[in-house]
Amino acid sequence: MHIKKYCIFIMTVLAFWTLGLQGGATAAPDPTEQMKPFLDNIITQLKSEEFQNDTTCNQCNRIVELASEHFDFREMSKRVMGKQWKHLTPQQQDQFTELFTKLLQYAYIGQVNEYVDKKIEFTGQRIKGNRAEVKTKLMDENKEIPVSYIMILKGDNWMTYDIIVEGVSLVRNYREQIFSVLREEQFAGLITLLEKKIANLEAGNDEG
Amino acid sequence: MKYFIQIYIISLLGAVCLIAFPLTVALAANDKVIDFLDDAFYDEEETEHTQVPDPLEPLNRWMFSFNDYSYTWVLEPVASGYSYVVPPDIRHSVDNFFYNLQEPVRCLNALAQARFSDAGTMALRFIVNSTGGVAGLGDPAGRELGLKAVDATLGETMGVWGVGDGFYMVVPLYGPTTLRDFTGTTVDSLALSPYYMWADGWEESMGIYLGKELNKLSLFLGDYEKMKQLSFDPYIAIRNGYFQTRTQMRNYKTTE
Repeated sequence: MHIKKYCIFIMTVLAFWTLGLQGGATAAPDPTEQMKPFLDNIITQLKSEEFQNDTTCNQCNRIVELASEHFDFREMSKRVMGKQWKHLTPQQQDQFTELFTKLLQYAYIGQVNEYVDKKIEFTGQRIKGNRAEVKTKLMDENKEIPVSYIMILKGDNWMTYDIIVEGVSLVRNYREQIFSVLREEQFAGLITLLEKKIANLEAGNDEG
Repeated sequence: MKYFIQIYIISLLGAVCLIAFPLTVALAANDKVIDFLDDAFYDEEETEHTQVPDPLEPLNRWMFSFNDYSYTWVLEPVASGYSYVVPPDIRHSVDNFFYNLQEPVRCLNALAQARFSDAGTMALRFIVNSTGGVAGLGDPAGRELGLKAVDATLGETMGVWGVGDGFYMVVPLYGPTTLRDFTGTTVDSLALSPYYMWADGWEESMGIYLGKELNKLSLFLGDYEKMKQLSFDPYIAIRNGYFQTRTQMRNYKTTE
């Protein structure tokens, strides 16, 4: 009698366990499978004539709209700030995230043409808990640039929060720039600097 | 007597190798391996530049502006003109040629760092590219045999042997480096590369250096401008980029 109960117990546990495993496997999507159509779509959009003839302002908004599907600019801003992030008020966090996103969007719009005639090859991925790295190579005839996307799983979506270009972490690079400003001019100085840089980029892009 | 000296030298080398090998392995194992998926990488207070001090920052910033100025007004226009006239195939061949000539120096450095498989790759690359690649103009070893180029410098060798970086510096017409790495580069290229020995005088050596670097620059046009556009403190962005690339390159070799 006891043995029967025991068997049933074991079987139930096993059943739940296998279910759980399957459930776990379906719940965590494959990062490369998500990135592939996402990047393909962005490149197709960038190549389209409609996009190429659009105004810089519209181009920027379009890119951010497309990118936000798998890019998390808040996670990015948080890491750019490092330990300082916790010392900021929620309003300051929002303000910084907004400006930093804007800086990235203006800075990268100038590089759109770089991506158009290049091919992206996916070379591998690595998953560690809810983090993943998707490795790619940006290629043309003469050059191969390794680009890695560092992502965090949020719900069903892998969200990029850092890009590693030829071994250089974008977040880490911005962080060092920001640190020296924060040391000397505090948060207000940083905001002024960001606004100035964005204004410059805006002006530069409009002229071009 | 002559025979005796030979035996002496060989046994001395053997002894050095015996002591050096475990030491280098121990030192290499101490290298911190970067994991981008680890949050600790983003939380670290200590950034690359605090590991290598930058006491000359004001002077370095001045040098940086000087380099920036000469890049924008002299080097970039000349390199653009050059890249307009000379097709990319030829420029890549020139680059390959100089790269191949330094392969033996690289190989020695790899040996001194106890990276034996990399040293083997370099030796093979040198043999294949010098013959099949027509004196190093082509890169059949990389393209056909899958022997990808790996680097090893004297700066690294000194690092493996425990020599510290000293400090960060920006060298005119050369760029970001550290005291140790720049010393290493100078010895590697000036003392050990055959093309400077072929030159008749320092003017000719300088000419070769400028030609070689100009050719290289023509293959990377636009990269610097891009970087400058993306950052709001280009000096720090370049400094950080330099250290990140270096750590990554050296890490990659020890882990894979």
